[in-house]
Amino acid sequence: MSDSAIELSGVGKKYRFFSLDNIHLKLPEGQIMGLIGPNGAGKSTTIRILMGLVHQDTGHVRVLGFRMPAEQVAAKWDIGFVSEDMRLYESMTLGWHMNFIQSIYPNWDPAYAQLLLKRFGVRAEQKIKGLSHGQRVKAMLLLVLARKPKLLVLDEPTTGLDPVARHEILRELTNVMADDGRSVLFSSHNTQDVEQISDQITFIDRGRIIDSMDKEMYLDRWRRLRLEAPLGIELPALPGIVDVRQEGRLAIATANAFVPDLANAYERAGVRVQRIESMTLEEIFVANVEHSREEVGA
Amino acid sequence: MNGAFAISQSDKRPMYLQIMEQIKQRIAIGDWTEGQPIPSIRQLAVDLEVSVITVKRAYLELEREGVIQTQQGKGSHVAANTGLGTRLREQELAQHLEQATRIAAMMGLRPKELEHRLREAGDRLAEKERI
Amino acid sequence: MRGSVVRGLILKDWRLQRAQIICSLCGGAFALALVQWGGETPIVVGGVWFFVALILVGHTLPLLGIINERKKQHLAFLMSLPVSYIQYTTAKLVANVVLFLIPWLTLVSAAVMLIEIRGVVPPGAIPVVLILALLPFVGFSLITGAVLVGETEGWGLAANVFCSSTYGLVWYFLTRIPGLMAHATGPSPVWNSTALIILAGECALITLLLGLTYFLQSRKRDFV
Repeated sequence: MSDSAIELSGVGKKYRFFSLDNIHLKLPEGQIMGLIGPNGAGKSTTIRILMGLVHQDTGHVRVLGFRMPAEQVAAKWDIGFVSEDMRLYESMTLGWHMNFIQSIYPNWDPAYAQLLLKRFGVRAEQKIKGLSHGQRVKAMLLLVLARKPKLLVLDEPTTGLDPVARHEILRELTNVMADDGRSVLFSSHNTQDVEQISDQITFIDRGRIIDSMDKEMYLDRWRRLRLEAPLGIELPALPGIVDVRQEGRLAIATANAFVPDLANAYERAGVRVQRIESMTLEEIFVANVEHSREEVGA
Repeated sequence: MNGAFAISQSDKRPMYLQIMEQIKQRIAIGDWTEGQPIPSIRQLAVDLEVSVITVKRAYLELEREGVIQTQQGKGSHVAANTGLGTRLREQELAQHLEQATRIAAMMGLRPKELEHRLREAGDRLAEKERI
Repeated sequence: MRGSVVRGLILKDWRLQRAQIICSLCGGAFALALVQWGGETPIVVGGVWFFVALILVGHTLPLLGIINERKKQHLAFLMSLPVSYIQYTTAKLVANVVLFLIPWLTLVSAAVMLIEIRGVVPPGAIPVVLILALLPFVGFSLITGAVLVGETEGWGLAANVFCSSTYGLVWYFLTRIPGLMAHATGPSPVWNSTALIILAGECALITLLLGLTYFLQSRKRDFV
């Protein structure tokens, strides 16, 4: 048994208008990974491949130690999967779905299920068609949370939800982390959520992984430097700077590999560093995507 | 125990720094005392709804600064002699003195005059305490 | 553990489709009752309705049960369960066939028994009734195969339209076969080679269609 909950190496998949290329991804057991990327980047495809629902063209996939998709049935006993395009049976009640899941999975926890019903504000007697979008998402999460799987794979669990519902879900996700044997992978547009609860962050754009690392380390590497260059002084090109915007004497440099010496390098070149700011994940997201697209020459 | 912890996303500072500061505050004002066990990294992460790695980083930094101590298998507790209480007061005093100097300068008072005023204030306080 | 998931899926299909089964049983029972009433019109009307009940259930089971599952995006939910695509397809196929057999076997045996016991319709007609009753079963197999393999509503509807429009033609040609109709009004069923060959052919066709469906499904690698 490996100590990684998820391991993708060299995974590729070709579609007519899109391809996933050389995906390497590793989620250590007991951690939460946030998968971010623009629409169409390949988040859902990557998730489907690791769930064994789509067969990769190249590369190896191991989830909870099982090879995917060959051993997917064994793996899925311990994985809880919710995707944004999943639908429950409209004419059936939530309670019927709960019984259905309970009849299949031996580690369904009825007490926890009842607690979740209360926390999420939904009732078992309600038919799915009578639930709002947010309640349906919470219903699907309830169905996976109550059986306490070792791995949760969630494709956009908070998309389209109001702030209260989002908070309820984040709270349950962090509760999962109380057990250091359980892991979570979730994809999201919401950089705030990812920034808050992820241990690892993976950035994906146009079928490629741009970055995949420890969140704190990642946030530490990105900085915005506000510079003032006196007339006649040109801004030096420094390593680790991915973007410079200049207007007159003022400039903003974005660094993705910041070290304190970078600021000194500017000072030595005669450029005054007014301020060094850390960046939110959202700002990093946009800067990163723009930078990587430039590099590829897109 | 962690009810009054507030990690704000709108606060520009990194989350781990916010956590560190709030822990140091509790120690400085005496809510958390020497030797008192503090929540495990995972437990605090769950309570605050933040990632484990963030709390881990905060604890590592706090340990580096000598504010907390972690024992393998036993968890973490507040270190002895953190000096945080004193450090906090030092900070406060420094701030007040700086402010006083600035105002005096604005009023045009010379340093000798400021010293005189400080002594007067000290005497007044001693008077009050005697009564 | 494996067996219980497939069983759970089959039970789920029963729970979702049972309304159709019950309607079909009621409709078919009513049609048979009408035939027993006697008289040319009731016999003809009841007889037609009897076959219509079989055709309806044979068509709606795959169209609603299978295609809707895909259209309404329930597939992702089911695929998150510990099943492989082949197990899912097998469960779907088995469930569908069992669900169809419930009304089909019930109604067809009821019809045959009523003919034997009450004779409102001459017993000589039994072979013809069986041959005609197997047609909806063939149609059901074709549509089930089309929706499972084709995966889109389009395939299902195409198969539906094809079957619906050919039943009449097949009926016409079957009733023109002299070896079949000659004994249809007689007092006892005659199992001559004509009748037996046609029956065997229909059964073979059903087996072939369902078997081919299973085979083609087992070669698929991706579900969604």
